Amino acid sequence: MSTIDNVSLARGRARLSGSRAFGAALLLLLGAFALIGPVIVPTDPAAQDFGASLAPIGGDYALGADHYGRSLLARLAHGARLSFGLAFLTMLAAAVPGVLLGLAAAWRGGGTERLLELLATVVLALPGLMLVLLLLAFSPGNYGPLFLGLSLTLWVEFYRVTRATTKTVLAQPHIEAARMLGFGSGYILRNYVVPVIAPMIATLTAFAMATAIIAVSTLSAISVGLQPPTPELGSIIVELLPYYAEAPLHVLLPALLIFLLVLGLQLVADGDRA
Amino acid sequence: MRNFLVARLMQAGIVAMVVGALCFLLMRVLPGDAAMRIAAGRYGPDARIAEAADKVRLELGLDRPVLLQFLEWLGGLLRLDLGHSLVTGAPVVDELQVQLGASVWLAASALLISLLIGPVIGIFSGLKPGGIADRTGLVGAVVFRAIPPFVLGLMLMLILSKQLGWLPPAGFGSPREILLPALTLALGLAAMSSRVTRNAVAAVAKTPYFAFARHKGLPEAIVVRRHGIRNAAIPVVSYLGLQAIYLVEGVVVVESLFAYPGIGHALVHAIVERDIPMVQGTALVMGLMFVAIAALVDAISLWLDPRFGRAA
Amino acid sequence: MLRALFITFALGLAVTNNSAHAQVLKVAGPWEVTGIDPAQTGYVFSRLQVAETLVTADPEGKLIPALAERWSVSDDALTWRFTLRDEARFHDGTPVTAQAAAASLKRALSGVGVLSQVPIADIVSEGRDVVLRLEKPFSALPAYLVHFSTIILAPSSFDASGKVKQIVGSGPYKVASLTPPAKLELKDSGTWWGGKPSIAEVSYLAVGQGETRALMAESGEADLVFSMLPVSVDRLKENPRLDVKIATIPRTRILKVNAASVFFDDVEERQALSHAIDRVGITKVILRNPELAATQIFPPALKGWYASDLQPLGRDVARAKELLTEAGWTPGSDGILEQDGKRFSVTLLTYSSWPELPPIATALQAQLREVGIEIKVSVGNSSEIPARHGDGTLEIGLVSRLYSIVPDPVGTLLQDYGPGGSDWGAMGWDNQEIQGLVAKLAVTTNPTERAPLQRRAVEILQQELPSIPVTWSELAIVSSKRITGVQVDPLEVNYGLAAIRWAK
Repeated sequence: MSTIDNVSLARGRARLSGSRAFGAALLLLLGAFALIGPVIVPTDPAAQDFGASLAPIGGDYALGADHYGRSLLARLAHGARLSFGLAFLTMLAAAVPGVLLGLAAAWRGGGTERLLELLATVVLALPGLMLVLLLLAFSPGNYGPLFLGLSLTLWVEFYRVTRATTKTVLAQPHIEAARMLGFGSGYILRNYVVPVIAPMIATLTAFAMATAIIAVSTLSAISVGLQPPTPELGSIIVELLPYYAEAPLHVLLPALLIFLLVLGLQLVADGDRA
Repeated sequence: MRNFLVARLMQAGIVAMVVGALCFLLMRVLPGDAAMRIAAGRYGPDARIAEAADKVRLELGLDRPVLLQFLEWLGGLLRLDLGHSLVTGAPVVDELQVQLGASVWLAASALLISLLIGPVIGIFSGLKPGGIADRTGLVGAVVFRAIPPFVLGLMLMLILSKQLGWLPPAGFGSPREILLPALTLALGLAAMSSRVTRNAVAAVAKTPYFAFARHKGLPEAIVVRRHGIRNAAIPVVSYLGLQAIYLVEGVVVVESLFAYPGIGHALVHAIVERDIPMVQGTALVMGLMFVAIAALVDAISLWLDPRFGRAA
Repeated sequence: MLRALFITFALGLAVTNNSAHAQVLKVAGPWEVTGIDPAQTGYVFSRLQVAETLVTADPEGKLIPALAERWSVSDDALTWRFTLRDEARFHDGTPVTAQAAAASLKRALSGVGVLSQVPIADIVSEGRDVVLRLEKPFSALPAYLVHFSTIILAPSSFDASGKVKQIVGSGPYKVASLTPPAKLELKDSGTWWGGKPSIAEVSYLAVGQGETRALMAESGEADLVFSMLPVSVDRLKENPRLDVKIATIPRTRILKVNAASVFFDDVEERQALSHAIDRVGITKVILRNPELAATQIFPPALKGWYASDLQPLGRDVARAKELLTEAGWTPGSDGILEQDGKRFSVTLLTYSSWPELPPIATALQAQLREVGIEIKVSVGNSSEIPARHGDGTLEIGLVSRLYSIVPDPVGTLLQDYGPGGSDWGAMGWDNQEIQGLVAKLAVTTNPTERAPLQRRAVEILQQELPSIPVTWSELAIVSSKRITGVQVDPLEVNYGLAAIRWAK
């Protein structure tokens, strides 16, 4: 669902350019893989077969098998669903309040802005890693605190970039003039602010999803992520990493999926300029 | 200017209080027996942890009222005493000096390297959106963003240490050892900053005043320097400030991969082992650093665009 | 900025070229120096030969003199006398006196080290002798004095409150600089009774990540690297510039089961669990050495404790299912066993201090699913095992248990299978016979008297399975061909750095 929403959002704005179409197609494909993949790949992603440990790509297992002999195709399909879904939710939960609060701070200024700035500073000042680790300590291995902790740290990024950019836009003479002439907030927002911040937010969005996926993998690497045998793209990488010398392609497969996702999002986000 | 400083100092004070109290509270309400965690942190998994924990509980007075302990910590803070680590027994200040110091060096090196890569690529990409530089830059940025840092670090180690034998895969203390972890972090950072720069430059390049300057027939380099960089720099600086902040703490896996004794690594251990003074001290010092960085970012933004300060 | 970076880089390269000729022995290992109290990280200083204990052990586990050149016990077995070497000196130049040794031991006795388990009444010094008086006979005492928490430190190591402020030991190397937690630099102490070490300077770096340790060896940045990951061992063996040495260590990964819970209170259930485990598969895939499949609790290297004629533990899924049926479990609609409406679904707790534990837990999860047992794996902190042993909520845990905490496994057995079990041993399992055997072993020194007792204890553990052995362990050490004289100590008491020489 993540990808489809993004595509339709993006499509509303302009005619599809070449690279934007390519990006959209990429996202559609990944979306299909994440949504339909787990249904049509019948293999249980947790089923082990030690005989097929590190089976090569293209043999009995289409995308090879991990060290336990689990089908990587099945694990990647399930992993894509979980990782993309989690990343999308995290991004949404960070971007929506971040952008809105950033706009509010830039627009209203004064006390509102000072209050929001303080809030953002305090959140920033709390090490994000600590926040996530502390929340995870309450219920280890669960999605809830992971998701909450990541959103809590990521929203500040959206807030700060939105506020800074919006303020520059609002400070431009012709816009100040427009405000004084009594043009409605909605009008200024639509015509002056949104066109400037939208591409930045789009870029941030694409990268925030990558950040969320990488953050989860980072947590797996320090053994506080999701619990086995949950197939999640980041933890698949972490699990396979010790085998990098024997099966380098296996390790890179999940990274390839993350790459394609970020690339697709980026192309859609930047498409109108290309 | 004086107002700016006073406001910042007040902000720093508030942040310190809030962060300190929040950490204390969070660490206290965490489930599980803190003494057990501390004992395991001190004596390792082969020890008789349950018995060690009883001694730890007695020694540290963990059973005393929470409020009393918080007040004690505050009292120490007023005397600039952050206490001793419950696990290593060393003063928190000493540990921070080594570990936070190491991290700041690492972060600064990474930021420096990323500045040499990211914004430069970003400017070239942004001036001709859709051009070859832009497309290559995009793919590069996405690649470095999609590979988890520990995989990237391992790849760099394989190439630069194992194959070429140029740099040591681990260690700390000399410039030679900082390069590999710094490069690992820098590539990820450059991926982000190159795109933020690219968008900012592209936005500025579209504005009427920039187009006008070009039409005036000014050489490209001067146009970019005079009108482009300054205006495009604000979101970039604002973003870089954020990156600097994430860097100091977000490097935990890179630190453990390269056996670099940084604060991310220490913080994870401190949280897992319920080393409360260490967590509080780290959070406090890092919080103050963040305030300083944020102030710096605002000051630079102000200098870049004086109009910016009007509402601040 | 640009210039600064290039200079840094150029400097870096210059240093690289020089370092190939440096005469420092570079050692890398996984352990960090967290605090310098002997009970915490005494093993670092013992292994790197900075500090010494009164007694030490050879690679076979036989006790040999260290700081004490000989020891004796009184006829009533209550007074032990350890005579110090005359020539022993601390790094600060002062002689190793019996008073100093007694003070170090008293400190260890009041701390959390192993010594607190010995029934010691008093520790005093008499001339060159350290005298330990016991409340009751305890034949394993010298073995306890091998433990790293009993290292003997000079009085100048302590501050006024008795806290350790620096490590002033008596070994061949003294601390030149310590940057906790990762770096320790040593140099020839010049005062060791055993002579001068061949290599005067040693630098130890704590490298937590196994992949990095392997690359340290491969890139020539370390001469001696400890604890290699199983997956990298084969690759390192093929490297012409490196030597790989492997020793089986007395450490067994076991499933600690709560024998008081409805799931594991019958011996049939524990045996079924054991039959369901594919030990050979796990050791092949994860540990890369099928010889490590634990057919009983102690590995063959532990002479006198390994019984070659015991029926080996192995996989038999059909038998496992049979046993579970006998114990009253029947498959539910989803294949998971049920009994009186209760599903056979348990949480397996493990921890990541040992990197191989979570992967083994993941493998066990899939294997136990085949016999209808649902396992939820929870990877936490090592303290959660004793914590949940304490409050009785542990269902099943995968732990790595060391049987040479003191060179005599009796020390560990005393802890693990005593009344009520213990943190890392049995849980909810009381066996009078084994308690009697272990108590008797603790006061018996004669090997021929001990043999049948040891044999019977192992037999009971094999039959009753209060903890289920999964795999044994090995220690892999990689050394560069630039050095010779490297020895593997399976007990990890002392890595013998002083005997290492540069090859030509």
